[in-house]
Amino acid sequence: MELTLILEMITASVIGAVLYTIIGIAPGTDETAVLAPVTLVLVLSGFEPIVILAFFISAIVAKKLTDSIPVAIAGIPGGVMSAPMVEHAMVLKKHGMPEVSIRKMASGSVIGTFIAVPMSLLLANLIIPLADVITQYSNQIFLGGAIFLALMSKNRWVSLLSIIPFAFLIQGLRIAYWETGIVPEDVTVFTSFFLGITIGPVILKLAELLSGKVRRQLPRYGLKEIVLKKTKTEKGFPNPFKILDRKEIGTTSFSSILGVLTFFMSPVGMTIFLGETLTSRIKDPVKKATRAISSMDGLTNAAYISGTLIPLIAIGLPLSPTAIGPGGALFNAPPVFTPENNIHHMLSTGDFIVATVIGAFVAITITFYVTIKYAQQICAFVFRYVPHEAMLGLFFGLVIMLAFMDAGIVNVAGVLVVALVAGFLHRRGVNYGVQFMTLYAAPWLISVFIPGL
Amino acid sequence: MNKKQIRPQDGENNIEVWEDLVHIKDLVLSIVICTVITLGAYLIAPNEPPKPLINGLIGAVIGFVISSIVIKPKRTLRFAEEREE
Repeated sequence: MELTLILEMITASVIGAVLYTIIGIAPGTDETAVLAPVTLVLVLSGFEPIVILAFFISAIVAKKLTDSIPVAIAGIPGGVMSAPMVEHAMVLKKHGMPEVSIRKMASGSVIGTFIAVPMSLLLANLIIPLADVITQYSNQIFLGGAIFLALMSKNRWVSLLSIIPFAFLIQGLRIAYWETGIVPEDVTVFTSFFLGITIGPVILKLAELLSGKVRRQLPRYGLKEIVLKKTKTEKGFPNPFKILDRKEIGTTSFSSILGVLTFFMSPVGMTIFLGETLTSRIKDPVKKATRAISSMDGLTNAAYISGTLIPLIAIGLPLSPTAIGPGGALFNAPPVFTPENNIHHMLSTGDFIVATVIGAFVAITITFYVTIKYAQQICAFVFRYVPHEAMLGLFFGLVIMLAFMDAGIVNVAGVLVVALVAGFLHRRGVNYGVQFMTLYAAPWLISVFIPGL
Repeated sequence: MNKKQIRPQDGENNIEVWEDLVHIKDLVLSIVICTVITLGAYLIAPNEPPKPLINGLIGAVIGFVISSIVIKPKRTLRFAEEREE
């Protein structure tokens, strides 16, 4: 491999780690919404696939390391995945040890990463022989995935009912674009619909704000008060294996392994389930909390890495909630990546190992170090100077631009329609997984109803 | 970074979007700033494949920075001493 390429990968990983250290801390940032658009833009800009992979791995590791910081310090989840940890982190905060939370969580993340990278590579190689069969039935698998995820979710009947109508909406828009000649018949608008789903809940909320009646009824708040506790700065380079005790390392490793094995399941669900079961017998509230948060953080990290890498290496189709959500752009970002020609087809196993190791290593070195040493300072900076409005504006702007790029001004409207419907479904309990699987299954599903399309 | 006391503490005027508090006027302002700059940068770029996109991305970052400077976050930060509680 050329030296320049390796340097590019390191640079991309550093940028990814720094960027997502900041984004991870900002409250309420959903993994899909913040990772997918940026990755997509990089893919479409024509960067080397291997560089993009290194960036992505570094970004998820960094994001997962830092999104638990606001949980520990202020009890605000930094992302959807860290929501289950709030309860345990609050126990530690009550006992006046938020910095213990941060160190345990970050160390859990590091262990999760160490376990997930080699295990994912191994598991992917075991699945490779099945890849042909899986690819052949991919449409059915996506539909099956949508149904499976729908049945696993809390509002299963609404989720199940939403699949076909939502598929009709997506495919209907595409057919309209073809008929009117807005896009050529051989181009399938995908990217912007994907982003429309991602940003759906926010768009719906914004649309509701246009109605004066709704606006007046909304609960109003003053300023959000966040209390930080002063902590001492650590000396020297932190060692995750010293921060966690032996039992915590054991539980964290175990849950990380399970996280890898269940890569096709929803990581949030697994986190809640395992975090509770593994710690239910511990009496001491502080010990219970530290064990829970370290193992939960290990699990989320492991689930994210394996959920991205295994489908990417073995199959080339996004057959896990992580792959189809945050990692979606690595699989399908026409015209650069398509399901028939994406990172899976372009990189060799050696490439995968190099990119993953560089990405993970850079993110752990930078982010783990920074997290343990300067967690409080970063938190204070983000809370003080990064307004939530700017984050929302940033993602809104990106989505509009990508919608325009896909099929012009009409598609801006099209994406808004998709986003409004997706946002509505999301509010009724249809999760991202179901919606994304439906997006993938839509062309085939509709052709079953209307043959010849 | 002089945005400490631009707006008076106008009571209860913020709403919750995506797990955090925003002021509606500021949100509209930020969306307009970001969208105009992002799309504008995309449109003025020469029409050779990756260039409009990279321009747009740079525009998005500029929009983000401008919004961050103009708008004050709806949070207050207080440092508590360790002995509290």
